[in-house]
Amino acid sequence: MSKIQERGSTHVYKVNKISKEEMDSMVSLCVYEDPPYCNAACPLKLDTRALMKAVAEGDFKKALQIYEKIAPFPVLLSQCCEAPCEGRCRMGEVGEGISIRDIEATVAANGEVTKSGGVFRRKKRQTVALFGSGLFALFLAGEIEKKMYPLTVFCEEADIEAYLKSAAAFLDEQSFAIELKRLKSKDIDFVFGCELSPKFFEEKRADFNVLCASEEAAKCFFKDAQCDRALMYYEAEKLVMGSGSGTMDAAFGAKKAALTVDRLAQKLSPANMRGEEGAVDTRLYTDMSEARELKRVAKSGAVYTKEEAMAEAQRCIQCRCEECMKSCAYLKHYKKHPGLLSREIYNNTQIIMGDHQLNKPMNSCSLCGQCAVVCPNGFDMAQVCHAARRNMVSTDKMPLAPHEFALLDMLFSNEEAFLARPQPGVEKCKYVFFPGCQASAIAPATVRAAYEDLSDRLEGGVALMLGCCGAICDWAGRYEMQETTREFIKNELSKLGDPIIIAGCPTCKKELSESVGGEIIGIWDVLEQIGLPEGAKGLSRPAAMHDSCGARGDEATQNAIRDLAAKLGCELLETEYQRDESPCCGYGGLTMYANREVAHEMAEKCLERSDAPYISYCMACRDRFAREGRESRHILELVYGTDAGNPPDISEKRWNRLTLKNNMLREIWGEESEMAKLPYELNFSDEALEMMDDRMILKSDVIAVIEHMRETGAAIDDEDTGYIMANHRVGNVTFWVALTEDAEGYTVHRAYSHRMKIVKGNG
Amino acid sequence: MQDRTYYVIDPEGKLRCRKCNVKLEKGRAKFMYLDNGFPVELPVCPRCDFVYVPEALALGKVLSVEKALEDK
Ligand SMILES: [Zn+2]
Repeated sequence: MSKIQERGSTHVYKVNKISKEEMDSMVSLCVYEDPPYCNAACPLKLDTRALMKAVAEGDFKKALQIYEKIAPFPVLLSQCCEAPCEGRCRMGEVGEGISIRDIEATVAANGEVTKSGGVFRRKKRQTVALFGSGLFALFLAGEIEKKMYPLTVFCEEADIEAYLKSAAAFLDEQSFAIELKRLKSKDIDFVFGCELSPKFFEEKRADFNVLCASEEAAKCFFKDAQCDRALMYYEAEKLVMGSGSGTMDAAFGAKKAALTVDRLAQKLSPANMRGEEGAVDTRLYTDMSEARELKRVAKSGAVYTKEEAMAEAQRCIQCRCEECMKSCAYLKHYKKHPGLLSREIYNNTQIIMGDHQLNKPMNSCSLCGQCAVVCPNGFDMAQVCHAARRNMVSTDKMPLAPHEFALLDMLFSNEEAFLARPQPGVEKCKYVFFPGCQASAIAPATVRAAYEDLSDRLEGGVALMLGCCGAICDWAGRYEMQETTREFIKNELSKLGDPIIIAGCPTCKKELSESVGGEIIGIWDVLEQIGLPEGAKGLSRPAAMHDSCGARGDEATQNAIRDLAAKLGCELLETEYQRDESPCCGYGGLTMYANREVAHEMAEKCLERSDAPYISYCMACRDRFAREGRESRHILELVYGTDAGNPPDISEKRWNRLTLKNNMLREIWGEESEMAKLPYELNFSDEALEMMDDRMILKSDVIAVIEHMRETGAAIDDEDTGYIMANHRVGNVTFWVALTEDAEGYTVHRAYSHRMKIVKGNG
Repeated sequence: MQDRTYYVIDPEGKLRCRKCNVKLEKGRAKFMYLDNGFPVELPVCPRCDFVYVPEALALGKVLSVEKALEDK
């Protein structure tokens, strides 16, 4: 059989199969990182979602810390901010929006005030002066102090109380006391009782690096003072200034002004590199079915009590788009939203030297395309992972180990087990039946019955082609192998006179449509036309229908299968994630070879939809569900009354393909093809069989070891175990077998393998 | 690198080469994978150079080094 070349680790970097720009445009479809609506609406960029969560959990200390990040005077802000967030709250679409501002007020009043540990904080060297008072000046003073600039405030007021009063006369006594305490705790030098005249300003301006003023003070210093509202900057006099028409306007103005102070202090242009300021748009998707409590919690007094605020915050559904992560076991496993995971996977493909830590995640996606259907924006992880695999192959960085077994299995299907014959007595057949490699491997009797039925009942002759469509090398990203496979199948089809392909598997149908083209229908389409054969019988119990990921987007196939099930008399149950939303069983994308744990989680995810038996129309799904212990039937088993029984192990899957081919050759085409018989008895202990299936060791690998031992005599005796230990390298793998010998032959007790080569001496 | 031996297994006289009918001895060998080599000391037949890789080594250290190299 053909071999696959192992890669070297020092190959030259070749070509990118996907550009950074293409990747960026794919990644941009994921809206997970878009802000929630409340946060997007807030010019101050309050992390409202996190604040609601903290309050809902009763953590008022944490809630206040979150609020203080954007509000130097939380009580003040929460009592008079215009709350643009509330208007955007998604809860407002199904009921009443969350009372965010009322909750903030309770947080501000009840949270522990964070101490600004003045002594331990290192001040910056550039100094700032702020002239004047009022709401804007107060907020700006708070922002500048937070940025660690030594700040001196020059004001007309006689003391700090008067200063605060000038900004927030509306505060009640208790609130005033809280904010006064907060203001006093801030590291600001106040110079009270100043006369804010042009002369005073001129005297002071040389002593500071950056100068700020309230609008009132600025106009007093310069009659024509006027600021650019985007920067809050009066450039002519290098004065940061402003006012506010409302509380939010003053707070946002102070934020912009503080950023300008920052830029000026660093001697940078205030207009550049400001990042995103103010309210923004968001594309975040929110599943509104999470909304439960639609009515606002009523206030027992003027403000929410802590308990009331908690109850109100608990109504928040924490807007977050996790549609794909809810439905996909793979994304759930890696706990990363696809935008992030994709970026990491793409970066992985760009590493020339060093560890490719994302190889396994990249190879664990089943490429099933479910995410693209459930994602409100159509994000397609399959596209990303498939492109990344091809990239890794093209740069020769793709490890062979995770996929080699599957690739060799495909070669086996298209070499030893391959068969292409026209129907006996028909020179040029109208059709060719292509059941797919997994059908021959898992349910050979079903394949045979289907072929006999089709060739019997269809006019024009039905040829048979047993082989692999090429999905396996496609999934592995081995595009050169895929091209070879395509050429091979195309050529074989051409030898048969390019008949209409009747696919037995939706994945083959999809793969062949994309690769060889031509007319391709499903056996389900044929059966819909010609009716069921005699003896076809559905399950007696209600069953769940598992749609094949190969049939995603193929409504005609999904309908035809349901039609067949109905004709069979099957009662199908409604389950989650049907048709286009169906998850993968774990076989797709070679997940079960690259990451068994994730493949198992995928199968579990499929099976958690129902406790009933599963009917599928892909043999791989049938096999994986049966392996998970579920009653699982392929619809063709029901059509042809052939129960494939317990799932075969990896060697039986090969044996099934080979014997199917040989039996059909002999019994249908009268061609004798001898299956090689071993000249000795070969037995396997149960432990060995289990071990081999788990370790992906075939009986043919074991036979290769024994043949080698018989030829060369190379083996050792292990005194401890009494076993003969023999080895042989097949392709890129060295196999070891522990066996005992008797007069008739051998019994295999253990088997293991490694990919490393071993050489004697120092090399 | 050259002087460091990554793994040492002593056959303790319990392994015998069937071909040469002599006991395996502790000997120098080298694992090679994806252009990398690692010196080891394993049970080796002094006559025919058969090198024995025990199961625990193959599924333990060897496998983990393979995986690390595959992702380089
Ligand atoms: Zn020897």
